[in-house]
Amino acid sequence: MSSDQDHLKETDTEARFEFKKEQKAAFAAEKGLNEETIRVISEDKDEPEWMLERRLRALKQFQKMPMPTDWPGQPDLSEVDVDEIVPYIRPDVEVRGGVDDWRDLPDDIKDTFDKLGIPEAEKNALSGVGAQYESEVVYQNMQERWEEKGVVFMNMDQAVQEHEDIVKEYFMTKCVPPSDNKFAALHGAIWSGGSFVYVPEDTTVDMPVQAYFRMNSEGMGQFEHTLIVAEKGSEVHYIEGCSAPKYSAFNLHSGGVEVFVGEDAHVQYSTVQNWSKNTYNLNTKRAIVEKNGRMEWISGSMGSKATMLYPASILKGRGASDNHITIAFAGEGQNIDTGAKVYHNAPETKSTIESKSISKDGGRTNYRGLVHIANGAKNSSTSVECDALMFDNESTSDTMPYMEINESTVDVAHEATVGKIGDEDVFYLQSRGLDDDDAKQMIVSGFIEPITEELPIEYAVELNRLVELEMEGSLG
Amino acid sequence: MSAQLPANLSVETVREISDARDEPEWLLEARLEALEALDELELPDVIQTPGRRWTNLEALDFESLVDPLNQSDETSREAPEDAVVLSFTEALDEYGDLIEEHFGSVVDLETNYLTALSAALFTTGTFVYVPESVDAEDVKIRAEMNSRSLFSHTLVVTEKSSSVTILEAIESGNDIDDARYFSNLVEVVAGENSYVQYGSLQNLDEETYTYSLKRGDTDTYSTINWIEGNLGSKLTRSDVETELNGEASETKIVGAFFGHDDQHLDVNARVWHNAENTTADLVTRGVLDDEARSVYEGVQDVGRDAWSTNSYQRENTLMLSDESEADASPKLIINNHDTEASHAATVGQVDKEDLFYMVSRSVPEQQARNMLVEGFFVPVLEEIEVDEFRDDLEELIAARLH
Repeated sequence: MSSDQDHLKETDTEARFEFKKEQKAAFAAEKGLNEETIRVISEDKDEPEWMLERRLRALKQFQKMPMPTDWPGQPDLSEVDVDEIVPYIRPDVEVRGGVDDWRDLPDDIKDTFDKLGIPEAEKNALSGVGAQYESEVVYQNMQERWEEKGVVFMNMDQAVQEHEDIVKEYFMTKCVPPSDNKFAALHGAIWSGGSFVYVPEDTTVDMPVQAYFRMNSEGMGQFEHTLIVAEKGSEVHYIEGCSAPKYSAFNLHSGGVEVFVGEDAHVQYSTVQNWSKNTYNLNTKRAIVEKNGRMEWISGSMGSKATMLYPASILKGRGASDNHITIAFAGEGQNIDTGAKVYHNAPETKSTIESKSISKDGGRTNYRGLVHIANGAKNSSTSVECDALMFDNESTSDTMPYMEINESTVDVAHEATVGKIGDEDVFYLQSRGLDDDDAKQMIVSGFIEPITEELPIEYAVELNRLVELEMEGSLG
Repeated sequence: MSAQLPANLSVETVREISDARDEPEWLLEARLEALEALDELELPDVIQTPGRRWTNLEALDFESLVDPLNQSDETSREAPEDAVVLSFTEALDEYGDLIEEHFGSVVDLETNYLTALSAALFTTGTFVYVPESVDAEDVKIRAEMNSRSLFSHTLVVTEKSSSVTILEAIESGNDIDDARYFSNLVEVVAGENSYVQYGSLQNLDEETYTYSLKRGDTDTYSTINWIEGNLGSKLTRSDVETELNGEASETKIVGAFFGHDDQHLDVNARVWHNAENTTADLVTRGVLDDEARSVYEGVQDVGRDAWSTNSYQRENTLMLSDESEADASPKLIINNHDTEASHAATVGQVDKEDLFYMVSRSVPEQQARNMLVEGFFVPVLEEIEVDEFRDDLEELIAARLH
């Protein structure tokens, strides 16, 4: 093993992700969800009237909609009781909307992000960073050279104030309406924090921008909203990372992501999700892609108790394209139900979905996907590839793709395979002097390589490290 | 949602059907239980994705479709000497015990509303029994439906080390100026080391709604191969399923469908690996023309104790028209890691290059296209062991092309 990997192995997962901080808040909403809570949150944020109205409408939707319970093989959500969640915590930070220097953060919060390695990554590889702690963004910085070009990267609450017109037009109107699903409705009612990214026409932001979300308090919900508007011919890569310490009560993460990919624009959205293993991760992510635009979703789902997440692309303009690359890793007690949705609504649209999953120690992974090709989406093509690797007999791995094809001049292919780690491969590596654990780790690293090679190096390293941590010492 | 009990169904109706056939008490009881369960049962599950149900069974009006006391069919049965092939009713006299033992043992009669309706009302069907070590080839059952509704129940029992190949074909006889309903339940009990190929050809007229559920149960080392050809009907809902309960048992589910006009085909192939060293291969090929629509679900379910499983699935759909629709969902459900499983599905058109090649060899375009469509079904046709069945299917496919 290289010294680099040795170093990574020494990293203690507990120290890095699961440390806890004493809860200090400037303002915390009461548990549960009602009109009063929402009015209080909205007032605390000094929001315009229209946003309060949207929140209240979303709340009505939420109260009306049933919990999703009848999907075949879906995670058990019976524990998710919104009345038990603290929906909003404003951390104790002097400057509302975030500081732009890490040194200005209170020590305990700064320490958190230091441990997560975010400031270091900012120096080395990013165009800008936003960091959210509980319900609000506490740090926000964007390199000047991008600001000069008109690129906007700020926290969502601030964007409501400073870019009201754009937000009013795009916020949960066309892409993710609150009526989409119960948790999108919940999100619409109590969203807080998140990122707003605006890239003007023909502007290429060539280093990724990153947002990091940290949930620290017990029994809270985090509901950050991300809105990305990439104008015609622009290009941007957005990275989202998240973590939370483990508590005995459950946490709920129900974010909303809306991406508008303009004509000829290119947006890449990368996530490495490592929520603690008591978190329910019920997210809605969707992109609308105009003519010749290109959307890429890259996600690694490692953490959470249960995840239900199906990033979606609506290919609206001729020649629009979508790539999904996803990896799910479910260990003991985890149920990762994830996949991809693509709607081909215009001619000559293309999509590729590559999904890999690993399950071990009783973990459960499910690929649930939907590819819809509308009548008239001539000469469209889609290819879906799912591979599942299983370690032991306590684990479960399902593949449930749905394909709705309304057009004949198309090329649709779906393939899925499931297999256990090859005894022969392990034997071969062992015969070359690797021990059993290392051999299996190496096979898994090779298995997920198509995903890691799409990520910027810091994230690829992080994903590999997380996989290694998951595998460590638990192999038979 | 559950459908209503039609007003023309009652305990008296069921008694009348049973009495007319001079059935034993146990069968009448089974029918009555199924009838009683109707109130509680739901229609079969259909695939649902956000915003839509893929097949609308709720639209069926059973009150007008079902005419229980006027069922009529014309069925011929051909069998080799050493196998028993009798109408279900005739078989009750001599093989009552065997039938009682297995009736409803593979298909739970209360699976859903439609299975219970079928069990309560069936008047036709076949009993096939192949004694130990007997090889029965070319069992042929040809049925004609001559009434508004017809309910059929077929039971196949093979004993140790026997084998049988069966063709069951259904078509419409008398012209009836109305919507019709055909229901067919088939149960196969494959004994140890026995082999069953059950081929089915449905070519009912396009006023008919068809529901069929075929299910097999394998014993150790046994094989059940299904071949399911669907060409007729306005709406077809077909489920073909095998439970691999015996160690080292195998199944193949081979399907072919060809829809045109506004036909709707909801075709399902499912297999449960419940024992060690079992193998499944699911192959379905379908063609859609005009405004026809296909819904396909394939399920490979590998249970926790199914060590060393091999399971494969392929589904290919060819679309000849922009107005047609092909929906597919091939599912893998894997609970044992010692599994090699894969599934693949494709939807596309007749290959343009192939077409160009043939046209450049002076085959007229229409003819070239037809040849490619016929060629598309070859992997299915090759599986058929009853020659007459293969010829029939080939002919029907050719007739549908224009």
